[in-house]
Amino acid sequence: MAHISIEGLSVEFAVFGSRARSLKNTIMAQATGGRVMSGARDIVSVRAIDNLNLEIRHGDRIGLVGHNGSGKTTLLRVLAGIYKPNAGKITIHGKVGTLLDPSAGIDYEATGIENIYLRGRLLGMNKQQIEEQISDIADFTDLGDFLQLPMKTYSAGMAARLTFAISTSLQNDILLIDEGIGAGDAAFQEKAHKRIERFFDQTSIVLLASHSEDLLRRFCNRRLVMEHGQVASDGPMHSPAPPADRRAE
Amino acid sequence: MSDVVVSHPWKDARRLPVRTIRADHLAREAIDDVIQGLFEYEIWSGMALHEIRQRFRRSTLGPLWLTLSMGIMVGALGVVFSTLLKQDISQTLPYIATGLIFWGLLTNCINDGTTAFIGSETYIRNVPLPISVHIYRMIARNLIIWAFNMAIYVVVLVVFQIPIGWATLLFIPGFALFLLNLTWIAFAVAVLSTRYRDIPQVIVNLVQVVFFVTPVFWSLDSLPNHPAFVALNPFYHLLEIVRAPLLGHFASPLNWAISFGSAAVGLAATAYLYRRAYARIAYWV
Repeated sequence: MAHISIEGLSVEFAVFGSRARSLKNTIMAQATGGRVMSGARDIVSVRAIDNLNLEIRHGDRIGLVGHNGSGKTTLLRVLAGIYKPNAGKITIHGKVGTLLDPSAGIDYEATGIENIYLRGRLLGMNKQQIEEQISDIADFTDLGDFLQLPMKTYSAGMAARLTFAISTSLQNDILLIDEGIGAGDAAFQEKAHKRIERFFDQTSIVLLASHSEDLLRRFCNRRLVMEHGQVASDGPMHSPAPPADRRAE
Repeated sequence: MSDVVVSHPWKDARRLPVRTIRADHLAREAIDDVIQGLFEYEIWSGMALHEIRQRFRRSTLGPLWLTLSMGIMVGALGVVFSTLLKQDISQTLPYIATGLIFWGLLTNCINDGTTAFIGSETYIRNVPLPISVHIYRMIARNLIIWAFNMAIYVVVLVVFQIPIGWATLLFIPGFALFLLNLTWIAFAVAVLSTRYRDIPQVIVNLVQVVFFVTPVFWSLDSLPNHPAFVALNPFYHLLEIVRAPLLGHFASPLNWAISFGSAAVGLAATAYLYRRAYARIAYWV
């Protein structure tokens, strides 16, 4: 059964000022002991996740909540294997699907079909799996012959529908989603939600970072509030009322 | 529980894969990244093909433009140099053609290497793939361009009746060694450029200078002994091990030795660099 266990996870990264990225300043700082060139090492170290412990079990639909910069996206990136931790250990049982940026890999100069292949490959599908999905994606998006046209000719809604449909076509045990999974206009929204439901039903564990209270309440059963890289609260989705500042967003 | 890092568990649907991410295992993961990246050939070759197709979309000649512009360059330089130096064009033109074709591959990979990671920021930060994929994609793209340029060589081969013999066969190991050197250079340049944003500018200028001090289009035949900037220039030796076989000669043992030596030293140094930098690249891009 799919399972994620996080022990003592800490993630720290350096945010470089423009000066620290320059070679001259780095060399000067070495040569002068770092004192003469003021700010030559203007590297700010950010602790994005601070000694986090978490157990995630089969059936958990986690809504990740927190202010911008509280570590939600960083946590998802670490679980995806993109960001490397500074300390701690994570054990993941299950195939991980990652939807951090639904438009990563989309080329607006290329046709809809080509983009299904481009994006599908990045999601970990092979050629055959993509071919199997094409008619389903075409059905769902109602794009029809538009799939043969470059994506730059699409309206924003059409493009959103396509990226959404591709992203929700591969089944995984664990799903990491950051923000905007909803797609397109209001009429499409309901159709999209049905697809998300079906998509989530086939998935053992979901982590969804979102600011949308509606989305969280509809699809999640566990609410994980993050603050300064730590878990501020962890409980079932429905019982705790969202804090006032969260409702305002 | 095993500590083995299964880098691509999502490819294996049969058993629930286990992946362990540990802060103290990252150096070893760096080498896994380089190897796993190679196995993702479907992704990097697909992306490379797409990039070429995209670049020439709606153009009538398409990628044949690559062949054509290289052909014009080779023709012009061939005529100028054979006239200026009063050399036989049947000697000069094949020499310049092979020189420019392989120099093009080499420098494109170095120059594109500077942006291989920086330019793939969206992928690196949002898509869980080995980051080495972006190096292989860049090399694959330049190999496609190289293949189109090789059409020029075929024409030259036929027109000037370059002898094909045992020496020609040495092109295969020569090209393999050439690519090996290209790969470590690309990795090293990509990592350094991502961390220090001055490096791309330094590299572009350096490559230009090296072009003139390396016998790419001018020949050493007119010189009694090799000047130091040629004899000690690894790019010259690297170029010779692919060029000589294609022109029907044997590259000198020194050419081979230096090319092997730079591959060994370069791979070791780059492995060290990549192990140290690997865990930070996603933060640097």
